[in-house]
Amino acid sequence: MSRRTRVITRTFARHWARALPQARFGFAPRATRRAAFARATRLALEDLGPAFIKLGQVASVRPDLVPPEYVFEFEQLQDRVPPLPAERIATVIRHELGRPLAELFDDFETEPIAAASIAQVHRARLAREVRPVIGDVMPAGTPVAIKVVRPGAAQVIAADLPEARRLLSRLDRLGLSRWIDAPALLEEFAASLASELDLRNEGRVSDRFAHDFRDDACIMTPRIAWSHTSRSVLTMEYVEGWRLTEIDDAARAGVDAFHLALHGATVFMKQVLVLGRYHADLHPANLFVTPDSRICYLDFGIVGTTEREERINIAQVLAATVYGDADRALCYSAKLGLEVPEHKRADVRQRVGELMDRTLNVPGRPADVKGFATGFLSVMADARVPIPAGYGLLVKALVTVEGVARAIYPDIDITRAAKPFATRLIAQQMMRPDRIADRVPAALRAAIRELVS
Amino acid sequence: MGVIGVAEDQFMRFLAAWALVHETADEGWKAAVARGAEQETGSMEAGPEAFVDGLSAMIAEEKERLKAALASGEVEAPGSKADVGSQLDDLLFEVRELRGRLESMQTTLDAVLSDDEDHGVK
Repeated sequence: MSRRTRVITRTFARHWARALPQARFGFAPRATRRAAFARATRLALEDLGPAFIKLGQVASVRPDLVPPEYVFEFEQLQDRVPPLPAERIATVIRHELGRPLAELFDDFETEPIAAASIAQVHRARLAREVRPVIGDVMPAGTPVAIKVVRPGAAQVIAADLPEARRLLSRLDRLGLSRWIDAPALLEEFAASLASELDLRNEGRVSDRFAHDFRDDACIMTPRIAWSHTSRSVLTMEYVEGWRLTEIDDAARAGVDAFHLALHGATVFMKQVLVLGRYHADLHPANLFVTPDSRICYLDFGIVGTTEREERINIAQVLAATVYGDADRALCYSAKLGLEVPEHKRADVRQRVGELMDRTLNVPGRPADVKGFATGFLSVMADARVPIPAGYGLLVKALVTVEGVARAIYPDIDITRAAKPFATRLIAQQMMRPDRIADRVPAALRAAIRELVS
Repeated sequence: MGVIGVAEDQFMRFLAAWALVHETADEGWKAAVARGAEQETGSMEAGPEAFVDGLSAMIAEEKERLKAALASGEVEAPGSKADVGSQLDDLLFEVRELRGRLESMQTTLDAVLSDDEDHGVK
Protein backbone atom coordinates (compact mmCIF):
# COMPACT_ATOMS: atom_id res chain seq x y z
CA MET A 1 0.00 0.00 0.00
CA SER A 2 1.55 3.34 -1.07
CA ARG A 3 1.82 6.29 1.30
CA ARG A 4 -0.88 8.19 -0.58
CA THR A 5 -3.23 5.20 -0.49
CA ARG A 6 -2.75 5.04 3.29
CA VAL A 7 -3.58 8.77 3.59
CA ILE A 8 -6.72 8.31 1.49
CA THR A 9 -7.87 5.28 3.46
CA ARG A 10 -7.21 7.01 6.81
CA THR A 11 -9.06 10.17 5.70
CA PHE A 12 -12.19 8.27 4.70
CA ALA A 13 -12.01 6.07 7.81
CA ARG A 14 -11.68 9.12 10.09
CA HIS A 15 -14.69 10.95 8.58
CA TRP A 16 -16.86 7.84 8.37
CA ALA A 17 -16.08 6.98 11.99
CA ARG A 18 -17.23 10.48 12.99
CA ALA A 19 -20.49 9.88 11.10
CA LEU A 20 -21.27 6.70 13.07
CA PRO A 21 -22.83 8.43 16.14
CA GLN A 22 -24.97 10.59 13.83
CA ALA A 23 -26.12 7.43 12.06
CA ARG A 24 -26.73 5.89 15.53
CA PHE A 25 -24.31 3.12 14.58
CA GLY A 26 -26.59 1.98 11.79
CA PHE A 27 -29.85 2.13 13.77
CA ALA A 28 -30.97 5.59 12.59
CA PRO A 29 -33.67 5.82 9.88
CA ARG A 30 -32.25 5.19 6.43
CA ALA A 31 -32.45 8.83 5.29
CA THR A 32 -30.57 10.05 8.39
CA ARG A 33 -27.97 7.29 7.98
CA ARG A 34 -27.38 8.07 4.33
CA ALA A 35 -27.23 11.85 4.95
CA ALA A 36 -24.62 11.36 7.72
CA PHE A 37 -22.33 9.24 5.51
CA ALA A 38 -22.83 11.53 2.51
CA ARG A 39 -21.64 14.50 4.61
CA ALA A 40 -18.66 12.52 5.92
CA THR A 41 -17.70 11.53 2.38
CA ARG A 42 -17.92 15.16 1.24
CA LEU A 43 -15.62 16.29 4.05
CA ALA A 44 -13.15 13.50 3.20
CA LEU A 45 -13.12 14.54 -0.48
CA GLU A 46 -12.44 18.16 0.54
CA ASP A 47 -9.53 17.04 2.71
CA LEU A 48 -8.03 14.91 -0.08
CA GLY A 49 -7.62 17.79 -2.51
CA PRO A 50 -8.32 18.79 -6.14
CA ALA A 51 -8.65 15.37 -7.84
CA PHE A 52 -11.14 14.11 -5.27
CA ILE A 53 -13.01 17.43 -5.17
CA LYS A 54 -13.37 17.32 -8.96
CA LEU A 55 -14.50 13.71 -8.79
CA GLY A 56 -17.14 14.70 -6.24
CA GLN A 57 -18.24 17.64 -8.38
CA VAL A 58 -18.66 15.36 -11.38
CA ALA A 59 -20.67 12.95 -9.22
CA SER A 60 -22.83 15.86 -8.02
CA VAL A 61 -24.45 16.19 -11.45
CA ARG A 62 -24.87 12.45 -12.07
CA PRO A 63 -27.77 11.05 -10.02
CA ASP A 64 -27.74 8.14 -12.44
CA LEU A 65 -24.34 7.05 -11.04
CA VAL A 66 -24.47 7.85 -7.31
CA PRO A 67 -27.27 7.88 -4.67
CA PRO A 68 -29.35 11.09 -4.40
CA GLU A 69 -28.19 11.98 -0.86
CA TYR A 70 -24.59 12.07 -2.12
CA VAL A 71 -25.53 14.07 -5.23
CA PHE A 72 -27.07 16.87 -3.18
CA GLU A 73 -24.29 16.80 -0.56
CA PHE A 74 -21.49 16.90 -3.15
CA GLU A 75 -22.86 20.07 -4.73
CA GLN A 76 -21.58 21.86 -1.63
CA LEU A 77 -17.97 20.82 -2.33
CA GLN A 78 -15.75 23.85 -2.05
CA ASP A 79 -12.93 23.96 -4.55
CA ARG A 80 -10.69 26.63 -3.01
CA VAL A 81 -6.91 26.54 -3.11
CA PRO A 82 -4.25 29.13 -2.23
CA PRO A 83 -3.72 31.38 -5.27
CA LEU A 84 -0.58 31.21 -7.40
CA PRO A 85 1.60 34.37 -7.44
CA ALA A 86 0.47 36.88 -10.09
CA GLU A 87 3.89 36.67 -11.83
CA ARG A 88 3.30 33.01 -12.69
CA ILE A 89 -0.15 33.86 -14.08
CA ALA A 90 1.37 36.74 -16.09
CA THR A 91 3.89 34.29 -17.56
CA VAL A 92 1.04 31.99 -18.69
CA ILE A 93 -0.77 34.94 -20.31
CA ARG A 94 2.43 36.07 -22.06
CA HIS A 95 3.09 32.54 -23.29
CA GLU A 96 -0.51 31.89 -24.40
CA LEU A 97 -1.32 35.25 -26.00
CA GLY A 98 2.17 35.96 -27.42
CA ARG A 99 2.53 39.47 -26.02
CA PRO A 100 3.53 41.04 -22.70
CA LEU A 101 0.70 41.64 -20.26
CA ALA A 102 1.09 45.43 -20.46
CA GLU A 103 0.42 45.42 -24.23
CA LEU A 104 -2.85 43.55 -23.76
CA PHE A 105 -4.24 44.83 -20.46
CA ASP A 106 -4.14 47.90 -18.23
CA ASP A 107 -4.50 47.84 -14.45
CA PHE A 108 -3.94 44.07 -14.07
CA GLU A 109 -4.86 43.31 -10.44
CA THR A 110 -2.34 41.01 -8.81
CA GLU A 111 -4.86 39.84 -6.19
CA PRO A 112 -7.11 37.21 -7.86
CA ILE A 113 -10.89 37.49 -7.54
CA ALA A 114 -11.19 33.67 -7.50
CA ALA A 115 -8.76 30.76 -7.18
CA ALA A 116 -9.75 27.13 -7.73
CA SER A 117 -7.74 24.00 -8.48
CA ILE A 118 -8.00 24.34 -12.26
CA ALA A 119 -8.06 28.09 -12.88
CA GLN A 120 -7.68 31.44 -11.23
CA VAL A 121 -9.30 34.73 -12.20
CA HIS A 122 -7.83 38.26 -12.23
CA ARG A 123 -9.37 41.62 -13.01
CA ALA A 124 -7.88 44.06 -15.53
CA ARG A 125 -8.88 46.53 -18.26
CA LEU A 126 -8.60 46.07 -22.01
CA ALA A 127 -5.66 48.03 -23.45
CA ARG A 128 -7.38 48.29 -26.85
CA GLU A 129 -10.83 48.00 -28.41
CA VAL A 130 -12.20 44.46 -28.92
CA ARG A 131 -15.14 43.32 -31.07
CA PRO A 132 -17.04 40.45 -29.39
CA VAL A 133 -19.18 37.84 -31.17
CA ILE A 134 -22.34 39.09 -29.43
CA GLY A 135 -23.12 42.63 -28.33
CA ASP A 136 -21.47 46.02 -28.70
CA VAL A 137 -17.77 46.66 -29.21
CA MET A 138 -15.80 46.67 -25.95
CA PRO A 139 -13.77 49.89 -26.00
CA ALA A 140 -10.26 50.25 -24.55
CA GLY A 141 -10.58 50.49 -20.76
CA THR A 142 -13.47 47.98 -20.48
CA PRO A 143 -13.10 46.02 -17.20
CA VAL A 144 -12.47 42.32 -17.87
CA ALA A 145 -12.08 39.10 -15.90
CA ILE A 146 -9.14 36.99 -17.10
CA LYS A 147 -9.52 33.30 -16.31
CA VAL A 148 -6.21 31.44 -16.52
CA VAL A 149 -5.60 27.69 -16.23
CA ARG A 150 -3.06 27.15 -13.42
CA PRO A 151 0.19 25.75 -14.77
CA GLY A 152 0.41 22.07 -13.92
CA ALA A 153 -3.30 21.85 -12.91
CA ALA A 154 -3.90 18.84 -15.13
CA GLN A 155 -0.82 17.05 -13.80
CA VAL A 156 -1.76 17.68 -10.15
CA ILE A 157 -5.19 16.19 -10.70
CA ALA A 158 -3.90 13.39 -12.92
CA ALA A 159 -1.41 12.35 -10.20
CA ASP A 160 -4.27 11.35 -7.88
CA LEU A 161 -6.37 9.70 -10.58
CA PRO A 162 -4.78 6.21 -10.34
CA GLU A 163 -5.40 6.26 -6.57
CA ALA A 164 -9.00 7.31 -7.10
CA ARG A 165 -9.39 4.56 -9.70
CA ARG A 166 -7.95 1.92 -7.32
CA LEU A 167 -10.25 3.11 -4.52
CA LEU A 168 -13.33 2.98 -6.71
CA SER A 169 -12.51 -0.47 -8.05
CA ARG A 170 -12.08 -1.69 -4.45
CA LEU A 171 -15.53 -0.26 -3.66
CA ASP A 172 -16.75 -2.12 -6.72
CA ARG A 173 -15.31 -5.40 -5.41
CA LEU A 174 -16.97 -4.82 -2.04
CA GLY A 175 -20.31 -4.90 -3.85
CA LEU A 176 -20.95 -1.14 -3.74
CA SER A 177 -21.43 -1.01 -7.52
CA ARG A 178 -25.13 -1.36 -6.69
CA TRP A 179 -25.00 2.26 -5.48
CA ILE A 180 -22.08 3.74 -7.39
CA ASP A 181 -21.23 3.11 -11.05
CA ALA A 182 -17.46 3.59 -10.63
CA PRO A 183 -16.25 3.01 -14.24
CA ALA A 184 -18.87 5.41 -15.64
CA LEU A 185 -17.96 8.01 -13.01
CA LEU A 186 -14.27 7.87 -13.92
CA GLU A 187 -15.04 8.07 -17.62
CA GLU A 188 -17.20 11.15 -17.01
CA PHE A 189 -14.45 12.62 -14.84
CA ALA A 190 -11.82 12.29 -17.60
CA ALA A 191 -14.15 13.85 -20.21
CA SER A 192 -15.15 16.69 -17.90
CA LEU A 193 -11.52 17.45 -17.02
CA ALA A 194 -10.46 17.57 -20.67
CA SER A 195 -13.32 19.96 -21.46
CA GLU A 196 -12.64 22.23 -18.45
CA LEU A 197 -8.95 22.54 -19.31
CA ASP A 198 -9.80 24.07 -22.72
CA LEU A 199 -11.40 27.40 -21.77
CA ARG A 200 -12.48 28.08 -25.36
CA ASN A 201 -15.32 25.57 -24.84
CA GLU A 202 -16.74 27.74 -22.07
CA GLY A 203 -16.49 30.88 -24.24
CA ARG A 204 -18.31 29.24 -27.15
CA VAL A 205 -21.17 27.97 -24.99
CA SER A 206 -21.47 31.40 -23.39
CA ASP A 207 -21.75 33.07 -26.81
CA ARG A 208 -24.36 30.52 -27.94
CA PHE A 209 -26.39 31.16 -24.77
CA ALA A 210 -26.21 34.92 -25.40
CA HIS A 211 -27.46 34.35 -28.97
CA ASP A 212 -30.30 32.09 -27.81
CA PHE A 213 -31.50 34.77 -25.38
CA ARG A 214 -30.70 37.83 -27.49
CA ASP A 215 -34.32 39.01 -27.33
CA ASP A 216 -34.61 38.60 -23.56
CA ALA A 217 -33.83 41.88 -21.83
CA CYS A 218 -33.60 40.18 -18.40
CA ILE A 219 -30.78 37.79 -19.32
CA MET A 220 -27.11 38.42 -20.04
CA THR A 221 -23.75 36.68 -20.27
CA PRO A 222 -20.35 38.41 -20.28
CA ARG A 223 -19.01 39.30 -23.73
CA ILE A 224 -15.94 37.25 -24.72
CA ALA A 225 -12.76 38.93 -26.03
CA TRP A 226 -11.67 36.23 -28.48
CA SER A 227 -8.54 38.10 -29.56
CA HIS A 228 -7.42 37.81 -25.91
CA THR A 229 -8.45 34.16 -25.53
CA SER A 230 -6.66 30.86 -26.06
CA ARG A 231 -6.86 27.30 -24.76
CA SER A 232 -5.63 28.32 -21.28
CA VAL A 233 -6.72 31.99 -21.10
CA LEU A 234 -10.32 33.23 -21.33
CA THR A 235 -10.90 36.98 -21.32
CA MET A 236 -14.46 38.10 -20.67
CA GLU A 237 -16.27 41.27 -19.72
CA TYR A 238 -16.30 41.88 -15.96
CA VAL A 239 -19.89 42.14 -14.79
CA GLU A 240 -20.74 44.17 -11.70
CA GLY A 241 -23.54 42.74 -9.62
CA TRP A 242 -24.66 40.90 -6.55
CA ARG A 243 -24.03 37.23 -5.91
CA LEU A 244 -27.11 35.31 -4.86
CA THR A 245 -25.82 35.30 -1.30
CA GLU A 246 -26.04 39.13 -1.38
CA ILE A 247 -29.59 39.22 -2.72
CA ASP A 248 -30.83 41.33 0.20
CA ASP A 249 -28.56 44.14 -0.98
CA ALA A 250 -30.02 43.76 -4.49
CA ALA A 251 -33.58 43.93 -3.14
CA ARG A 252 -32.67 47.08 -1.21
CA ALA A 253 -31.36 48.55 -4.46
CA GLY A 254 -34.80 48.02 -6.03
CA VAL A 255 -34.32 44.72 -7.87
CA ASP A 256 -37.61 42.77 -8.20
CA ALA A 257 -36.47 39.43 -6.72
CA PHE A 258 -39.75 37.55 -7.28
CA HIS A 259 -39.90 38.47 -10.96
CA LEU A 260 -36.23 37.54 -11.44
CA ALA A 261 -36.63 34.17 -9.70
CA LEU A 262 -39.68 33.24 -11.78
CA HIS A 263 -37.99 34.45 -14.96
CA GLY A 264 -34.86 32.42 -14.15
CA ALA A 265 -36.99 29.28 -13.88
CA THR A 266 -38.76 30.13 -17.16
CA VAL A 267 -35.38 30.57 -18.88
CA PHE A 268 -34.43 27.06 -17.78
CA MET A 269 -37.71 25.64 -19.13
CA LYS A 270 -37.06 27.38 -22.44
CA GLN A 271 -33.54 25.92 -22.62
CA VAL A 272 -34.74 22.36 -21.92
CA LEU A 273 -38.06 22.31 -23.74
CA VAL A 274 -37.52 24.66 -26.69
CA LEU A 275 -33.83 25.18 -27.45
CA GLY A 276 -32.56 21.71 -26.49
CA ARG A 277 -29.42 23.03 -24.74
CA TYR A 278 -29.26 23.84 -21.04
CA HIS A 279 -26.82 25.07 -18.40
CA ALA A 280 -26.49 21.90 -16.31
CA ASP A 281 -24.09 23.29 -13.70
CA LEU A 282 -26.00 26.18 -12.20
CA HIS A 283 -25.16 27.10 -8.67
CA PRO A 284 -25.23 30.36 -6.74
CA ALA A 285 -21.58 31.12 -7.61
CA ASN A 286 -22.39 31.00 -11.34
CA LEU A 287 -25.05 33.68 -11.23
CA PHE A 288 -25.18 37.42 -10.62
CA VAL A 289 -28.00 39.88 -10.36
CA THR A 290 -27.01 43.13 -12.04
CA PRO A 291 -28.02 46.63 -10.87
CA ASP A 292 -30.29 46.94 -13.96
CA SER A 293 -32.28 43.86 -12.80
CA ARG A 294 -30.81 41.29 -15.14
CA ILE A 295 -29.59 37.75 -14.39
CA CYS A 296 -26.01 37.21 -15.55
CA TYR A 297 -25.01 33.59 -16.25
CA LEU A 298 -21.38 32.51 -15.87
CA ASP A 299 -19.30 29.35 -16.12
CA PHE A 300 -20.89 27.08 -18.72
CA GLY A 301 -18.82 24.05 -17.68
CA ILE A 302 -21.52 21.39 -18.08
CA VAL A 303 -24.15 21.64 -20.80
CA GLY A 304 -27.01 19.16 -21.21
CA THR A 305 -28.78 18.58 -24.51
CA THR A 306 -32.25 17.30 -25.42
CA GLU A 307 -33.47 16.00 -28.80
CA ARG A 308 -36.82 17.08 -30.27
CA GLU A 309 -38.67 13.85 -29.45
CA GLU A 310 -37.15 13.84 -25.94
CA ARG A 311 -38.38 17.39 -25.39
CA ILE A 312 -41.99 16.34 -26.02
CA ASN A 313 -41.65 13.44 -23.57
CA ILE A 314 -39.92 15.67 -20.99
CA ALA A 315 -42.80 18.15 -21.31
CA GLN A 316 -45.27 15.30 -20.75
CA VAL A 317 -43.35 14.10 -17.66
CA LEU A 318 -43.11 17.66 -16.32
CA ALA A 319 -46.80 18.35 -16.93
CA ALA A 320 -47.83 15.02 -15.37
CA THR A 321 -45.56 15.68 -12.39
CA VAL A 322 -46.72 19.22 -11.69
CA TYR A 323 -50.36 18.14 -12.13
CA GLY A 324 -49.78 15.12 -9.83
CA ASP A 325 -50.48 12.34 -12.37
CA ALA A 326 -48.10 9.49 -11.41
CA ASP A 327 -49.31 7.06 -14.12
CA ARG A 328 -48.71 9.53 -16.89
CA ALA A 329 -45.33 10.62 -15.45
CA LEU A 330 -44.11 7.00 -15.38
CA CYS A 331 -45.54 6.25 -18.83
CA TYR A 332 -43.61 9.12 -20.46
CA SER A 333 -40.53 8.48 -18.28
CA ALA A 334 -40.41 5.03 -19.88
CA LYS A 335 -40.16 6.75 -23.27
CA LEU A 336 -37.09 8.57 -21.89
CA GLY A 337 -35.50 5.24 -20.97
CA LEU A 338 -36.65 4.90 -17.34
CA GLU A 339 -38.02 1.36 -17.57
CA VAL A 340 -39.83 0.07 -14.49
CA PRO A 341 -40.24 -3.75 -14.73
CA GLU A 342 -43.86 -4.90 -15.03
CA HIS A 343 -43.92 -6.70 -11.64
CA LYS A 344 -42.71 -3.57 -9.78
CA ARG A 345 -44.90 -1.07 -11.60
CA ALA A 346 -47.87 -1.00 -9.19
CA ASP A 347 -45.65 -0.53 -6.13
CA VAL A 348 -43.52 2.17 -7.79
CA ARG A 349 -46.62 3.94 -9.07
CA GLN A 350 -48.14 3.99 -5.59
CA ARG A 351 -44.95 5.30 -3.96
CA VAL A 352 -44.50 8.00 -6.62
CA GLY A 353 -48.14 9.06 -6.23
CA GLU A 354 -47.76 9.36 -2.44
CA LEU A 355 -44.53 11.30 -2.93
CA MET A 356 -46.27 13.74 -5.27
CA ASP A 357 -48.99 14.31 -2.68
CA ARG A 358 -46.40 14.88 0.06
CA THR A 359 -44.07 17.20 -1.84
CA LEU A 360 -45.79 18.84 -4.80
CA ASN A 361 -49.49 19.03 -4.01
CA VAL A 362 -49.70 20.28 -0.45
CA PRO A 363 -52.39 23.01 -0.30
CA GLY A 364 -51.02 26.38 0.78
CA ARG A 365 -47.37 25.36 0.39
CA PRO A 366 -45.07 25.89 -2.61
CA ALA A 367 -44.04 22.71 -4.43
CA ASP A 368 -40.86 21.10 -3.07
CA VAL A 369 -39.13 19.91 -6.25
CA LYS A 370 -35.94 18.90 -4.46
CA GLY A 371 -37.90 16.80 -1.97
CA PHE A 372 -39.76 15.15 -4.82
CA ALA A 373 -36.59 14.51 -6.86
CA THR A 374 -34.69 13.03 -3.91
CA GLY A 375 -37.63 10.79 -3.06
CA PHE A 376 -38.19 9.80 -6.71
CA LEU A 377 -34.55 8.82 -7.19
CA SER A 378 -34.66 6.83 -3.93
CA VAL A 379 -37.81 4.99 -5.05
CA MET A 380 -36.04 4.07 -8.30
CA ALA A 381 -32.86 3.04 -6.44
CA ASP A 382 -34.89 0.83 -4.05
CA ALA A 383 -36.64 -0.78 -7.01
CA ARG A 384 -33.22 -1.24 -8.73
CA VAL A 385 -34.40 0.76 -11.73
CA PRO A 386 -31.38 2.27 -13.53
CA ILE A 387 -31.64 6.01 -14.22
CA PRO A 388 -30.64 7.01 -17.78
CA ALA A 389 -27.79 9.56 -17.79
CA GLY A 390 -29.74 12.35 -19.54
CA TYR A 391 -32.74 11.83 -17.26
CA GLY A 392 -30.56 12.07 -14.16
CA LEU A 393 -28.81 15.21 -15.37
CA LEU A 394 -32.15 16.85 -16.07
CA VAL A 395 -33.61 15.96 -12.67
CA LYS A 396 -30.51 17.37 -10.99
CA ALA A 397 -30.63 20.53 -13.11
CA LEU A 398 -34.31 21.08 -12.26
CA VAL A 399 -33.55 20.77 -8.55
CA THR A 400 -30.66 23.22 -8.93
CA VAL A 401 -32.92 25.70 -10.69
CA GLU A 402 -35.30 25.49 -7.75
CA GLY A 403 -32.38 26.06 -5.37
CA VAL A 404 -31.17 29.07 -7.32
CA ALA A 405 -34.68 30.52 -7.67
CA ARG A 406 -35.18 30.11 -3.89
CA ALA A 407 -31.86 31.83 -3.22
CA ILE A 408 -33.34 34.80 -5.08
CA TYR A 409 -36.87 34.54 -3.65
CA PRO A 410 -37.33 31.96 -0.85
CA ASP A 411 -41.09 31.33 -1.32
CA ILE A 412 -40.97 30.78 -5.09
CA ASP A 413 -42.81 27.79 -6.58
CA ILE A 414 -40.97 26.94 -9.80
CA THR A 415 -43.78 24.71 -11.01
CA ARG A 416 -45.57 27.99 -11.76
CA ALA A 417 -43.00 28.48 -14.53
CA ALA A 418 -43.14 24.83 -15.65
CA LYS A 419 -46.91 24.56 -16.05
CA PRO A 420 -47.56 27.00 -18.91
CA PHE A 421 -44.44 25.85 -20.77
CA ALA A 422 -45.29 22.16 -20.58
CA THR A 423 -48.94 22.82 -21.45
CA ARG A 424 -48.03 24.85 -24.53
CA LEU A 425 -45.56 22.27 -25.76
CA ILE A 426 -48.07 19.46 -25.38
CA ALA A 427 -50.66 21.55 -27.22
CA GLN A 428 -48.17 22.11 -30.05
CA GLN A 429 -47.53 18.38 -30.16
CA MET A 430 -51.27 17.73 -30.41
CA MET A 431 -51.41 20.06 -33.42
CA ARG A 432 -48.80 18.14 -35.42
CA PRO A 433 -50.36 17.30 -38.84
CA ASP A 434 -49.42 13.60 -38.63
CA ARG A 435 -51.05 13.33 -35.21
CA ILE A 436 -54.19 15.12 -36.38
CA ALA A 437 -54.36 12.91 -39.49
CA ASP A 438 -54.11 9.88 -37.19
CA ARG A 439 -56.81 10.95 -34.78
CA VAL A 440 -59.39 13.07 -36.64
CA PRO A 441 -61.10 10.25 -38.64
CA ALA A 442 -61.63 8.20 -35.46
CA ALA A 443 -62.86 11.28 -33.57
CA LEU A 444 -65.32 12.17 -36.37
CA ARG A 445 -66.65 8.61 -36.53
CA ALA A 446 -67.17 8.66 -32.76
CA ALA A 447 -68.93 12.06 -32.92
CA ILE A 448 -71.30 10.97 -35.70
CA ARG A 449 -72.02 7.68 -33.93
CA GLU A 450 -72.91 9.72 -30.85
CA LEU A 451 -75.20 12.04 -32.85
CA VAL A 452 -77.09 9.39 -34.77
CA SER A 453 -77.46 6.95 -31.86
CA MET B 1 -88.87 9.19 -54.18
CA GLY B 2 -86.18 8.27 -56.70
CA VAL B 3 -82.55 7.32 -56.12
CA ILE B 4 -81.49 10.98 -56.47
CA GLY B 5 -84.02 12.04 -53.81
CA VAL B 6 -82.68 9.45 -51.35
CA ALA B 7 -79.11 10.54 -52.06
CA GLU B 8 -80.08 14.21 -51.57
CA ASP B 9 -81.77 13.34 -48.27
CA GLN B 10 -78.64 11.53 -47.04
CA PHE B 11 -76.42 14.38 -48.19
CA MET B 12 -78.60 16.95 -46.39
CA ARG B 13 -78.58 14.74 -43.28
CA PHE B 14 -74.80 14.54 -43.44
CA LEU B 15 -74.52 18.35 -43.69
CA ALA B 16 -77.00 18.72 -40.84
CA ALA B 17 -74.88 16.35 -38.75
CA TRP B 18 -71.79 18.37 -39.65
CA ALA B 19 -73.53 21.64 -38.68
CA LEU B 20 -74.69 20.08 -35.43
CA VAL B 21 -71.18 18.85 -34.58
CA HIS B 22 -69.85 22.32 -35.34
CA GLU B 23 -72.52 24.09 -33.29
CA THR B 24 -72.13 21.75 -30.31
CA ALA B 25 -68.34 21.99 -30.44
CA ASP B 26 -68.55 25.79 -30.65
CA GLU B 27 -70.83 26.03 -27.64
CA GLY B 28 -68.63 23.56 -25.75
CA TRP B 29 -65.54 25.54 -26.68
CA LYS B 30 -67.01 28.87 -25.54
CA ALA B 31 -68.14 27.34 -22.27
CA ALA B 32 -64.68 25.78 -21.69
CA VAL B 33 -62.98 29.13 -22.40
CA ALA B 34 -65.33 30.89 -19.98
CA ARG B 35 -64.72 28.29 -17.26
CA GLY B 36 -60.95 28.39 -17.88
CA ALA B 37 -60.87 32.20 -17.72
CA GLU B 38 -62.50 32.09 -14.30
CA GLN B 39 -59.95 29.62 -12.93
CA GLU B 40 -57.54 30.79 -10.28
CA THR B 41 -53.80 30.06 -10.44
CA GLY B 42 -53.17 26.38 -9.82
CA SER B 43 -56.76 25.29 -10.56
CA MET B 44 -55.72 23.52 -13.76
CA GLU B 45 -54.41 20.60 -11.74
CA ALA B 46 -57.85 19.79 -10.29
CA GLY B 47 -58.39 17.12 -12.97
CA PRO B 48 -58.56 16.48 -16.70
CA GLU B 49 -61.64 18.69 -17.21
CA ALA B 50 -60.10 21.61 -15.35
CA PHE B 51 -56.95 21.08 -17.40
CA VAL B 52 -58.88 21.25 -20.70
CA ASP B 53 -60.73 24.37 -19.50
CA GLY B 54 -57.45 26.05 -18.54
CA LEU B 55 -55.85 25.04 -21.83
CA SER B 56 -58.86 26.41 -23.75
CA ALA B 57 -58.52 29.74 -21.97
CA MET B 58 -54.80 29.85 -22.80
CA ILE B 59 -55.55 29.10 -26.47
CA ALA B 60 -58.24 31.80 -26.51
CA GLU B 61 -55.70 34.31 -25.14
CA GLU B 62 -53.21 33.24 -27.80
CA LYS B 63 -55.95 33.63 -30.43
CA GLU B 64 -56.60 37.20 -29.29
CA ARG B 65 -52.86 37.95 -29.50
CA LEU B 66 -52.76 36.44 -32.99
CA LYS B 67 -55.77 38.55 -34.03
CA ALA B 68 -54.07 41.69 -32.74
CA ALA B 69 -50.82 40.77 -34.49
CA LEU B 70 -52.65 40.07 -37.76
CA ALA B 71 -54.47 43.39 -37.50
CA SER B 72 -51.18 45.24 -36.99
CA GLY B 73 -49.47 43.28 -39.81
CA GLU B 74 -46.81 41.79 -37.50
CA VAL B 75 -47.40 38.19 -38.54
CA GLU B 76 -45.79 37.12 -41.77
CA ALA B 77 -45.82 33.83 -43.66
CA PRO B 78 -42.85 31.45 -43.84
CA GLY B 79 -40.28 32.81 -46.26
CA SER B 80 -41.44 36.34 -45.43
CA LYS B 81 -39.17 39.16 -44.26
CA ALA B 82 -39.43 38.19 -40.57
CA ASP B 83 -38.68 34.53 -41.30
CA VAL B 84 -35.70 35.40 -43.49
CA GLY B 85 -34.60 37.91 -40.83
CA SER B 86 -34.47 35.20 -38.19
CA GLN B 87 -32.50 32.88 -40.49
CA LEU B 88 -30.11 35.74 -41.30
CA ASP B 89 -29.69 36.36 -37.59
CA ASP B 90 -28.64 32.75 -37.05
CA LEU B 91 -26.31 32.84 -40.03
CA LEU B 92 -24.76 36.08 -38.86
CA PHE B 93 -24.13 34.49 -35.47
CA GLU B 94 -22.38 31.51 -37.12
CA VAL B 95 -20.16 33.91 -39.09
CA ARG B 96 -19.34 35.98 -36.00
CA GLU B 97 -18.64 32.83 -34.01
CA LEU B 98 -16.26 31.73 -36.76
CA ARG B 99 -14.56 35.13 -36.63
CA GLY B 100 -14.11 34.66 -32.86
CA ARG B 101 -12.51 31.25 -33.43
CA LEU B 102 -10.20 32.68 -36.09
CA GLU B 103 -9.14 35.54 -33.81
CA SER B 104 -8.34 33.09 -31.03
CA MET B 105 -6.42 30.84 -33.43
CA GLN B 106 -4.50 33.86 -34.76
CA THR B 107 -3.57 34.79 -31.18
CA THR B 108 -2.32 31.25 -30.50
CA LEU B 109 -0.39 31.24 -33.78
CA ASP B 110 1.22 34.61 -32.94
CA ALA B 111 2.15 33.24 -29.52
CA VAL B 112 3.78 30.13 -31.02
CA LEU B 113 5.71 32.25 -33.56
CA SER B 114 6.80 34.69 -30.85
CA ASP B 115 7.97 31.73 -28.72
CA ASP B 116 9.98 30.43 -31.67
CA GLU B 117 11.61 33.85 -32.16
CA ASP B 118 12.47 33.98 -28.45
CA HIS B 119 14.17 30.61 -28.83
CA GLY B 120 15.96 31.66 -32.04
CA VAL B 121 14.03 29.28 -34.38
CA LYS B 122 13.74 30.59 -37.97
